[in-house]
Amino acid sequence: MKKKISICLSLVCLSLFFSRCDKKKPEEEASPESSFDKSGMLANIGDNLIIPAYADFNTSADSFQLSANAFISNPSHGSLDVLQSAFTKCYKKYQWISTYEFGPAETEFIRNSMNVFPCDTIEINSKIAAANYDLSTIADIDVKGFPAVDYLLFGHHLNDTAIVSLFSTDANASNRKTYLSTIISEIKNKAGIIYAGWQPNGGNYISVFKNSTGSDVGSSIGLLVNQLCYDLELLKNARIAIPLGKRSLGVPLPEKSEAFYSGISVSLASEHLNSLENVYLGRSKQNVDGLGFDNYLNHIDARYFSGTLDAAIKSKFSAAKSKLSLITGRLSDAVISNPATVDAAYMELQQLVVLLKVDMTSALGVSITYVDNDGD
Amino acid sequence: MITQRISNLRSRLTEQVHIAPLSLFRVLFGLMMFASVLRFWLKGWITELYVKPQFFFKYYGFEWVEVPNEQGLYFLFALVAISSLFVMLGLFYRISSVAFFLSFTYVELLDKTNYLNHYYFVSIVALLMIFLPAGKYFSLDVRLRLTQKITHVQRWLIVVIQLQLGIVYFFAGLAKLNYDWLINAQPLRIWLQPHTDMPVIGFLMDKIWLAYFFSWFGAVYDLTIPFFLLNKRTRYFAYATVIAFHVLTAILFPIGMFPYVMIVSTLIFFPAQFHLKIIAILRSIFTFFKSGESDEPSVALVFRPTVKKILISLFVIHFIFQVIIPFRFLLYPGNLFWTEQGFRFSWRVMLIEKAGKAFFHVRDPDSNREGEVMMNNYLTPNQEKMMATQPDMILQYARFLEKKYEETGMRDPQITVESYVTLNGKGSRLFINRYVDLTRINDSFTNKWWILPLEEK
Repeated sequence: MKKKISICLSLVCLSLFFSRCDKKKPEEEASPESSFDKSGMLANIGDNLIIPAYADFNTSADSFQLSANAFISNPSHGSLDVLQSAFTKCYKKYQWISTYEFGPAETEFIRNSMNVFPCDTIEINSKIAAANYDLSTIADIDVKGFPAVDYLLFGHHLNDTAIVSLFSTDANASNRKTYLSTIISEIKNKAGIIYAGWQPNGGNYISVFKNSTGSDVGSSIGLLVNQLCYDLELLKNARIAIPLGKRSLGVPLPEKSEAFYSGISVSLASEHLNSLENVYLGRSKQNVDGLGFDNYLNHIDARYFSGTLDAAIKSKFSAAKSKLSLITGRLSDAVISNPATVDAAYMELQQLVVLLKVDMTSALGVSITYVDNDGD
Repeated sequence: MITQRISNLRSRLTEQVHIAPLSLFRVLFGLMMFASVLRFWLKGWITELYVKPQFFFKYYGFEWVEVPNEQGLYFLFALVAISSLFVMLGLFYRISSVAFFLSFTYVELLDKTNYLNHYYFVSIVALLMIFLPAGKYFSLDVRLRLTQKITHVQRWLIVVIQLQLGIVYFFAGLAKLNYDWLINAQPLRIWLQPHTDMPVIGFLMDKIWLAYFFSWFGAVYDLTIPFFLLNKRTRYFAYATVIAFHVLTAILFPIGMFPYVMIVSTLIFFPAQFHLKIIAILRSIFTFFKSGESDEPSVALVFRPTVKKILISLFVIHFIFQVIIPFRFLLYPGNLFWTEQGFRFSWRVMLIEKAGKAFFHVRDPDSNREGEVMMNNYLTPNQEKMMATQPDMILQYARFLEKKYEETGMRDPQITVESYVTLNGKGSRLFINRYVDLTRINDSFTNKWWILPLEEK
């Protein structure tokens, strides 16, 4: 037994020796002076990104609904124009909130009630004809929200005159108006609910968000990182890869693109990527760069090969943005006429998914899973 | 000298000792298992891990294991729960210990995704328990006169459990003797820093010296704790260390019941008097067990010679395997933590930080068209995550996809994987050869040449 004890003791001594040796390496001494200010990061993202995004979205949903009311009471070229541009504006604002599917947004199923595309046009038309529907069930996720409005206001190969007539002289015009009004009201209502849910004088989710400073499953950082990765994959898969034909053995599926009828897919994707980048950087829409994941990764000295992980992520964001901006015209045309350009954007987004979902989560100790589970 | 030692050891192992440590171990093990199953059930993991998934990763050689339907699953888990309770009570111990081992192990065989060393440990101990006379004292079987009470057994019957525990710790310690763990303090540097918001000691959690201290302390602890627990003079101090170590790991890491299982299991290193005291306390609470056991005549367990011979040979074979299995990785080239060839069943506990993402590509050779397989169709996020870093699972999933595409009418689908993995924060890089058609490969124990080597930079 004495022998064993002496073995143990020598092991301990050896350990002290090694740890001391190691201290000599300069990069090992870069121990951070103080811990990273996680609550500061959460406060910045909550106060300067999330709440303003919800406020913006809520305001644009207000004018979206007002323009809808005006169009419904008097369908004309003029009122249609106004409504279409209110739609575009509101849809773009949506891209800035889609990442935050937790708290009030999770309760309201925002993604599923606002942006499941492509929409089911046959079902929409039969619901309009029947004039008898309840849009709250899970089966109805693809007959409402922005994709349904996109279809109703832009149609397929329809000019504005044809669309106005669908809401004025068509046999189902009155039903169609009611339908449009119903789905836009739902967008407006939910926008109001999630905004209020975050407000300090409302549901005050902001305080829950700021005060959960751990990194485990269900903490604010855990939720944010999980949703950031999930939303980025949505961008890569649903917005780009599927229309490009990645899921259909290379056969492009242009009608599967987001905002297929209005054709604003690429600008929506750009808005979305900008929003994701801002979450990563902790940067507000007014370009005020506060504490974000970039600071967090640098604080813990996360490396990526010979450089920092932050530098790799930043350069990948800018590469993805620039490749996305090279897609000209409608995405639904580009996937057929110029698939190589779309493919280039797809590849950059894929690399970005890897950096965020693999490297960033690993460095931050956040687990990607929607199930709280034991490890080894 | 050596013969002297051997005969000393032999007489020590065959010495008659009180059975109390073994029977109390049975009670505590049964209780922990019951609590574990209950926790698993209440957390909704039966549904989450076994009802929801559409695809299950089977162990090599155990592809025949069927996942029961929802009702069957709940029945299976009920069986685990009831049999663990019966083991704790020592009721129909022969049957209940077998039932617990079989039901628990069957659950573990359902999906490799959920492999944990902790579950493997439970299966092994449950198997050993079947052959140990743990139900012959302080049990309902004895109380109800279903079996003869035994008070004394030869020491080796208790040493079996001690040795198994010792192996778990010692190999866990051996596994830590690697460059990343000792010299880079990885993965603890990654794992400790998210805990800076912990009360009282949180501010230390991103200090690099703490990661070094924990790494080295953990390695020394694992390698030496069995010996310190065996030694009379160091035992109480060692046990205090056991509690401190496991409580700390329970706070820092999501490892469920494992720390508590180890805390109660290591009590088996204490002498019989200690266990008799606890049993006396338990009897004063559960008075049903009191009567007729107050002054007990000594009854020693006597095996028939052939039974004893068989039993001892079985244990010897078991422990030979226990020692060999962790070293099987030496037969494979490459970095063990990267390729994970020979990684499981070796007590490599909380050893590496590995994360990955796999993109599968399918190509139809007839039309020469290709595309990406969108994953969420068949795998849960947890399965997807676990698969991405383990080559055998990637291969299994590729072969599953092959079948799925064949069902759609594709004649000879080719499946390749573009997977990126980061090990201990080194940076994500390609893991599997991007161009190898995985449908041409069958899983086996031979070297998986299609894993790309880990190049340290």
